[in-house]
Amino acid sequence: MARAPYFSSPSLQTLALQNPAALAADQHAALLLGGFHPVPTGDGLIAPQAKQGQDEDRVARVHDTGPGGAGTLDRINVAISNWVGDHGGRLLLGLSFPLLLFIVWQASSLYGWLPDQILPAPSLVWQTLQERIADGSLWDDASISLLRVLRGFTLGVGAGLLLGGLMAASRKLHDYLNPLFLAISQVPTLGWVPLLILLVGIDEGLKNILVALSVFIPVTLGTYQGIRDVPHGYREVGQVLTFGRAQMLRTIILPAAVPAIFTGLREGLSNGWQTLVAVELLASTEGLGYQMSYGRQLFQLELVIAAMLVIGLIGFVFDFLLGRIENHLQRWKVAA
Amino acid sequence: MTDLHLGHHLHAVEDTPPSVEGVPGSDRHAILALSRVSKHFDVAGRRVQALSDVSLDIKEGEFLSIVGASGCGKSTLLRLILGLDRDYQGEILLDGQPVKKPGLDRGIVFQEHRLLPWLSVEANVAVALRRSKLSPRQKRDTVRAHLELVGLEKFAEAYPAQLSGGMQQRVAIARALVNRPRFLLLDEPLGALDALTRLRLQDELKRIIQHEGITALLVTHDVDEAVYLGDRIVIMQPHPGRIAGILPVILPRAVDGSRSRSDAAFLRLRDHVLGQLGVGQEDAVVHAAE
Amino acid sequence: MSTQAKTRLARPRLTRIWRAAALPLVLLAAWEASTRLGLVDPHQLPPLEDVVARGWSESRNGDFLTALAASLGRDLAGFAIGAAIGTASGLLLGFYRPAQSILGPTLRVHRQIALFAWVPLIAVWFGAGEPGKIAFIALAAFQPSLINTWRGVQEIPDRFHELAAVLTFSRLDFLRFVGIPAILPAIFTGLKAALIYAWQATIGAELFMTIAPGIGGVMMQGRQLFQMDLVLLTILLLGLVGAGFNTLAGLSETLLLRRRTS
Repeated sequence: MARAPYFSSPSLQTLALQNPAALAADQHAALLLGGFHPVPTGDGLIAPQAKQGQDEDRVARVHDTGPGGAGTLDRINVAISNWVGDHGGRLLLGLSFPLLLFIVWQASSLYGWLPDQILPAPSLVWQTLQERIADGSLWDDASISLLRVLRGFTLGVGAGLLLGGLMAASRKLHDYLNPLFLAISQVPTLGWVPLLILLVGIDEGLKNILVALSVFIPVTLGTYQGIRDVPHGYREVGQVLTFGRAQMLRTIILPAAVPAIFTGLREGLSNGWQTLVAVELLASTEGLGYQMSYGRQLFQLELVIAAMLVIGLIGFVFDFLLGRIENHLQRWKVAA
Repeated sequence: MTDLHLGHHLHAVEDTPPSVEGVPGSDRHAILALSRVSKHFDVAGRRVQALSDVSLDIKEGEFLSIVGASGCGKSTLLRLILGLDRDYQGEILLDGQPVKKPGLDRGIVFQEHRLLPWLSVEANVAVALRRSKLSPRQKRDTVRAHLELVGLEKFAEAYPAQLSGGMQQRVAIARALVNRPRFLLLDEPLGALDALTRLRLQDELKRIIQHEGITALLVTHDVDEAVYLGDRIVIMQPHPGRIAGILPVILPRAVDGSRSRSDAAFLRLRDHVLGQLGVGQEDAVVHAAE
Repeated sequence: MSTQAKTRLARPRLTRIWRAAALPLVLLAAWEASTRLGLVDPHQLPPLEDVVARGWSESRNGDFLTALAASLGRDLAGFAIGAAIGTASGLLLGFYRPAQSILGPTLRVHRQIALFAWVPLIAVWFGAGEPGKIAFIALAAFQPSLINTWRGVQEIPDRFHELAAVLTFSRLDFLRFVGIPAILPAIFTGLKAALIYAWQATIGAELFMTIAPGIGGVMMQGRQLFQMDLVLLTILLLGLVGAGFNTLAGLSETLLLRRRTS
């Protein structure tokens, strides 16, 4: 979300949100006060900046109109951008770096710049992947890891929604429980490993608890913040319309809290996945993390890299899925 | 409660402002009675007297404008009447019964539209009918009817973020009316809109409220608006918040209930109110002398 | 807001302090009681006094301090490297379009790979000693500072760009007067996140890579020797450090951004 600019007050911002047309006037005024003459164009005062596709692709455009005209750097900049835009070359550019890396990698193994134990040849990695897919071991490992994450995630989300909701509903409960919660959240997740190993050993219980814990913390926070941050004005609408408690929750509080809760969920899943990989590296006899640990010990880095690729893929899928669900739940947020 | 004499162009009247269409019979009696209402806040250790000894009778079917500068307690007064706040001294009686909590007999339009952004326009209005005993079909029909009333039936499926400020506020008005409340409270409803939209919506409001035959309480800091819309004007002053005066508005009305904003009598009344609020004293005196 | 809500918030500090202390006190009492009554195995839960005594002696002989210093040293070194590279990259990617096109997708993919998946690779490439640990911590700090800085640049409002254009700012002027100040909050958010991640990575590195002076080492020692009191104490220490970081971050944020109203 954009930060408040220096030369606009909160009330102007509210006005801008409620009546976008008014903002142009404000801009106009601010610019005039700056003591210059706006550059006239066809429609408006200032040539509006062309909106770049989606958010991810927006880049700050710096217009260099300093003395002496556009600098060389900018000319190159503009030239490349135009070329890319014209030739749909964005995809090409995006692939160029990985391609470069790949070429270097291939060359390194061809010419033996690095021993095979440090950097196995790409072909070896590919071969390993194929073998492991063929004999099903990749799928076994991946599904074990996935199941663990899902189990821990479910636990953590359930506990997090519960605690976050309770603390948001009752100030009393919040005062009692929050200090302990805060204290626990300060300890890095992996810091609990030695303690938990001593208490529950190194089998499934360890993984479940750790993953659940790393999910639980952001979900609780997100739920608590989300519910507490429901604007007071909306709550009053519910009061004025004589909503009962259930009605208030369903129609006003939960929908308003969804964005924050979902952020918590996404962070939770990301944390949970991270934690699982770490725990499997440390204390496991199966799963993707174990594969990496095994590969490292045997100096068969192709196993490690293959596992990393799968881990990356799974991470991407998680992110993608949750993002879609989030968008679906927030369809009403039309870009104003 | 004081009725002020304004000079020979305006009559001092006792109770009954002139004809307001839609009210059966012309004798109106007070249905909302405020009696010596006081409220204070404690801000940073200091006591701020938001309302001091406010007494007011509101008659059925009338349009009451409450005007005053910021801090005079007018919004607080609305919240007390609504039942959102029970911490005050004095009495607020509705049909003889003290007001204890919000009820569907009192609708409100806030200054910020407060439409729920995750609901469509239609759903936003419909949500006010949650507790109503109507059948789903009846609910749908009355929601449609009210959207037509504010001229937004074509935007039923749109989301609030897609509408302009004026349209959003109109949806808020529809939502406030859909339960057919006895009272419509309006807390500076047009304050956040641009001047042109404001003027247009003033006419809309007047038309709608007359159509529905509701008792309306409008809080505003815009004197023109107060004079244009009201049957009576309550003038409030701050520090402490109190009623400085109550004026009946006897101005000619057109058939549709609208008034002329440039009529000499209108301007005189407006200037008088401004004078009461401490603005442009000299002008008021000059006009009154004409 | 209604007055009832106001008085609820103005509830005396004392009540809140009592409530905050209630649960911890109850837990401590339960701990004491369960060991006294012999309800738990002393290996699993040593008596409270023992833990306190151990803590006292450890802090006196300076072992904890050395371990803490070693861990923090690693942490800050890795953080500094990672955050610097991350912030610089974020600025580059944000302001220079070709860089974004070329490096952007790669970095996005990189973000998907769980951080700890890099441990084996880094351990082999940099060794499992100090360089390896620091490299891993730097990697952890790199991601959040990159993402936040990048996003900060992207979210510079168009208004500012237009203003700079109309005021005929050069690129340097823009950066100096508008760009950098506008993205400082985002950079700060990135640094805060990087700090947290770096600390997590420090502990992870110490647990995964070779034993060396550090809190992780102490924990491993406690675990291997089944000394629960040591393990508990290190957890407490970790919590304190984490809380310390958070407080520091919060304070500096308030200080640095105080002049901005929002």
